[in-house]
Order: sequence, then C-alpha cells, then structure tokens
Amino acid sequence: MIEFRNVNKTYSTGTEAVNNASFVINKGEFAFLVGSSGSGKSTIIKLILKEEEPTSGNIIINGKDTTFLKPARVPYLRRSMGVVFQDFRLLPDKTVYENVAFAMYIVKATPRHIRRQVPMVLSLVGLSGKAKMYPNELSGGEQQRVALARALVNNPSMLIADEPTGNLDPDTAWEIMSLLNEINLRGTTVVVATHAKDIVDKMNKRVIHLSKGKIVSDKKGGYDCEI
Amino acid sequence: MRFNILGYLIKEGFRNVFKNKKSTISSLTIMCATMLVFGIFFLIGENVNYIINTVEQAQGIEVFIETDATEAEIEELGTKIRAMDAVNKVEYVTKEQALNRLKDRLKDQAYVLEIYEENNILPTSYIVTLTDLSKTKEVQEEILTFDHVKRIESSDQTISTLLKIANGIRIGTGVFLLFLIVISVFIISNTIKLSVHSRRKEISIMKYVGATNSFIRWPFIIEGIIIGVVAALLSIIIIGLLYNLVAGQIMESSVVALINISLLSFSEMFNLIICVYMGLGIGVGVLGSAISMRKYLEV
Repeated sequence: MIEFRNVNKTYSTGTEAVNNASFVINKGEFAFLVGSSGSGKSTIIKLILKEEEPTSGNIIINGKDTTFLKPARVPYLRRSMGVVFQDFRLLPDKTVYENVAFAMYIVKATPRHIRRQVPMVLSLVGLSGKAKMYPNELSGGEQQRVALARALVNNPSMLIADEPTGNLDPDTAWEIMSLLNEINLRGTTVVVATHAKDIVDKMNKRVIHLSKGKIVSDKKGGYDCEI
Repeated sequence: MRFNILGYLIKEGFRNVFKNKKSTISSLTIMCATMLVFGIFFLIGENVNYIINTVEQAQGIEVFIETDATEAEIEELGTKIRAMDAVNKVEYVTKEQALNRLKDRLKDQAYVLEIYEENNILPTSYIVTLTDLSKTKEVQEEILTFDHVKRIESSDQTISTLLKIANGIRIGTGVFLLFLIVISVFIISNTIKLSVHSRRKEISIMKYVGATNSFIRWPFIIEGIIIGVVAALLSIIIIGLLYNLVAGQIMESSVVALINISLLSFSEMFNLIICVYMGLGIGVGVLGSAISMRKYLEV
C-alpha cells in the first residue's frame, strides 16, 4: 500500500531530513511514526502526500510508483488518502456540514451523494448534532473530529494524520486516537505521526521510530526502543 | 451533474468578488476610467467614419466631357466609368442641368447667366461617387486616360482632411486600447492576487483533499470575468448618457446645422460598443486572473 524504497530527502537548505528510509505499510495496517521534533516524521508525511519530492529512492503508493507522477495526476493520488493535521485546518466561515461537504464538492460528487454521505460520516465521528455549528463554536476535540470526517468523507483507502492530538488535552487525544483505531478496524490503512508517548504505548500498534532522518526501529509495541 | 459544479464555481467566484470589496471597487473604477477614455476615442472614430461616408455619398468627382463628343461616345465613357472598382454611382448631367445647378449656386446673381439660356456652352459631365474615398486619386488618374474627358473636379481638400482625421483617430483608439489592456490586466491581476492570498488556507485544504488545479483556478477566473463585465456595463451606461448629452449639444449648435451633417445616435452604435466592451471586459478579466494565478497560485 505504502512502500518507501531507499528514500532520501535533502532540502535545498542542506538539511538531511530523511536518510535511506525503507518500509512497507500494508493495506489495513495501523502504523505510528514516532520520533522527536526534526526527526523526519513530517517529511515522510509530506513525501507520502507528494507535497515534497524525494531526492532519491522510490515511493510506491497503491502499487504505483509516484516518483514520476505527472503534477496533473497528483490531485487524483491525494483523493486516495484522507489527511488530518495538528491545527485541524477547518474553514472558519463554513459550518461543520459545509466543511465536510466541501471535500465532496471538490471531487465533483453529485448533490445526492453529498446529502447521503455527509450525515453518515458525521455520525461516524459522533457529531450528528452539531452539523450546523461553526468551527469556533466547537471544542478542539470536536474540531479534530470534523477534520477527520472531512478526511474520510470521500472513502479514502488510507488516512494520514500528522500530529492529530498535538493540540488536544490527554482525554480528548485518547478519544481521537480511539476513533482512528475504529476507522482502522473498518479497513482503512492509518498512518499517524506523533510524539504522544503514552498513547503509542497504550495502543500497542506497529511503531516506526525515526531519529535524525533514519529509521532506528520498526516493530510492534511501545514508543521506547532499544537501539 | 456538471451543472451543479458549474453553479458551485460561479458562486465561489461571486464570493471572491464580495470578499475583497475595496480592491474590487478600485479595479472597477480604474477599468471604467480607461474604458471611458477608450470609448470616447472609439465613438469619435465611428462618427468620423460616418461623416466620411456621408460626404462620400454626397460629394462625387465631376468628370467634364469634351463638347465634341457624340452621344454614343458619352454613353461609352459612362459604361467604362461604371465598370471601375471603387465606383459607387455614376450620374449624367446634361447641359441644362449644369446651367440650373450654376444658377442655384449663384442665387441672386443668376441673371448673369441669362445669355447662356439660348447658347448653352456649358459642358456635360458625369458625377461619380465612390465607395471608398481613399481611392479618389487612383480613380481620377484612370478616368483621365479615357477618351473625351476634358478635366476632372473634386473636393480633394475636404476628403484628404477627413481621411487624415480618421487615421489619427484610428491610431489614438489603438494606442488607448493597448493602454487599457495593459493597465486593466495589471489591476485585475493585482485584485485576484489579493483574493488568492485571502483564501490561501482554503486553497491548501483544497489541494490536500485532491482538488484539481483547474477546479482551484476557476473561481478566480470567474472573479476576473465578473469584474470585467461589470466594468463594461458601467462604462456603457456612463458613456451612453455622456454621448447623448454631448451629441445633442453639437447637433443643436448652428455650425453643424450650417454644414448639414449629422452624428450617429448612441442606439445605432449600441450593439457594436456592447460587443467591444464585453469582449474587452471578459478578455482582460481572464488574462488578468490567468497571469496572477501563474505567479501566485502554486498549484
């Protein structure tokens, strides 16, 4: 599903963000990307989203090498993945319902499909009652649920989350993480970049540990690893 | 459901227009101003062309025929002139008609012509009107080569002056058109740039959810078109009112009444000017937004 083959990324500033990274995340898997700030987690997320190009190596997504993907095809690649960020990135002048429907407009969904799909995803994330509210009327956890609903509304085969709980208190963070787990159980591949140690420990999933751009450990279990 | 998407994109375009009211209004104002200046040149040009046409029809060149030419020869000359390219109408003037015309011109002093009543020595002539005044000279030269042509008279002076004016106006209109396009494209692209900037968050979200580049661009192109079209409509209304006022004043003045020319009414030019303005507005709108998008929207 997501495969990195000897991927290197050096930014034009000279920073070596990812150093010879190779891993495979299979369909239906749940994987954490962990590591301290600047370890290369975000760069890997950006490489998956094709926001950045690898300096060398190949990235294969859904069986296709994206290294030579034409820029015009990038939007279609992104439709196969939902994305969630630390800062939610909701549109403040649109309601919860509109924020989610927006993602469907963009992929040119029919109005009928939108009317059916949006309430369904909102109930999945537990926000059925708040469809008409605006983002600033919601708590942080609720806002992240809206972002999740938006990421899921087009039925992507994978969900990419970059520090999804970074702005949330521990209880809310745990709620979001459980929701991600639930989504994963429904068959969606989930990749979460985080440094929330306690959550990673409690979830007991696959953990890819990065340090200074290198993968230092890749196994099921907790955040800590023996190097 | 393509229609629904079109509706969505147009709605977003309108939202852009109203989101940055200040820059929208400033670009509208400047576009209107340049369009008005251009419009003034354009309307004057149209009128000069119209006057030239009127003059062209009213005034012809007069070809005097040698007195010893037979009727058949006169007939032949007329056929030859009629066959020429730039010739519109050929009218034969008999001796009697020539005399009457002369009498008309002299008015009070017409009695001096009395001696000609019995012995009319005035030459017969053809009055030739042209379809294209710029060809006057060539036509004259060609006619002079025909048999039995005594001499040619024409209102050369008037015609060449009018043609000079028409050319000057044509150049002026062209220069202003260029000026209008450059300024307007710059202003519109600046407005769109602001619009893109104020919606950069939305654009980045659109990119993450997989919106195609064209989908992201369309609302901004529509914004440009809306500004261009509104500027065009405003300019038409303003220039229409202005024109009717000024043309009315000119027509009423005694000078114009004396030389017996009329100006075009605005309604006669309405279709043409609405096409020109709309074409300009839409073209400039699309061009302006396309330029700003290439520069500022890294999609």
